[in-house]
Amino acid sequence: MIDELEALYRSRVQEFRRVAAAIAGDRELGCEAVQEAFAKALRRRRSHRGTGTLEAWVWRIVVNAARDARRRRPVLLESRAASSNGHAPTLPLELLTERQREIVFLHYYADLDYASIADALEISPGTVGATLTAARKTLRQAHEEVEA
Amino acid sequence: MNEILDELVPPFGEPGDWDDVLRRAGRRRVRPIVLAAVVALAAVAVAPTLAGLLRHDGVGLPAEADRSNVAVVLAPLSRKVILEAAPWKGHDGFCYEVMHLRAGCVPRKTFGAVITKPPLFGWTFDDRVRSGVATMSGGRRVPLTVKHFGGRMDVTLFLVRGRVPIPHLLKGVVLRDANGKVVLRLRRP
Repeated sequence: MIDELEALYRSRVQEFRRVAAAIAGDRELGCEAVQEAFAKALRRRRSHRGTGTLEAWVWRIVVNAARDARRRRPVLLESRAASSNGHAPTLPLELLTERQREIVFLHYYADLDYASIADALEISPGTVGATLTAARKTLRQAHEEVEA
Repeated sequence: MNEILDELVPPFGEPGDWDDVLRRAGRRRVRPIVLAAVVALAAVAVAPTLAGLLRHDGVGLPAEADRSNVAVVLAPLSRKVILEAAPWKGHDGFCYEVMHLRAGCVPRKTFGAVITKPPLFGWTFDDRVRSGVATMSGGRRVPLTVKHFGGRMDVTLFLVRGRVPIPHLLKGVVLRDANGKVVLRLRRP
């Protein structure tokens, strides 16, 4: 299984990093979360019983590591917290629930289908679809309000 | 939405580091209970002859650290290493390992930060800082040990001493200069 984990890491590390960074709210913490998550997967590889795919199991560990990283992320100094170019993305992700955000990130950054997202988050594919639809609707309405 | 998400987290260009994963997986973590035992701190520069002091079962300095120039903070009673720092090879910044629980490398571009998960630990590149206090909900104030590491690192590190505060109660950190004047305030967002 070590070879399989290594192959998964080498082929998908960038997607893992983007999702983890989005959840953690910080690129460096996201990278750190992915490294820690794969290390944990290696240590606990025998606990993967083959229910679900290996990738879904690893995604679950990565998402949990990124959630932990978000909770303990550095508190940046107020005076320098703004982005260097003064421009910030306008997608109002704060309007979404934590689950909605995670599903959006897994869908867009990792290009996972509903079944894979469901495996990773241990929810049903139907819930994934409904949650993603609700998230899109919320973001669309917010965007229209800004445009109006 | 795709464009905005691309802007929110741009793609990563750097390749992964599988060797780092293997290294992390091969080490056993130290239980956090040992943290409460640290009551006071002292700093000492470490020569290679003290390398034995740095052997432990927990997280170590990242591989990117320049191990020829390591500085450590010791608990004076137990003489255990609770913090290691070294220049970051090939970068302007430093690498750290704190209480064998967490490690990382920090570029100088970040102005300063505090990590709220125990052990409460942080850094600033403002060399005026000489003392610090963490403020908790309810008004409790927890003194911090502040240590400046010069040379290529040129960074001031701070960490909680004594019993570790509950992280979710942390409101912020106030760092002061030699005259007691507030230099920096960090707050939980």
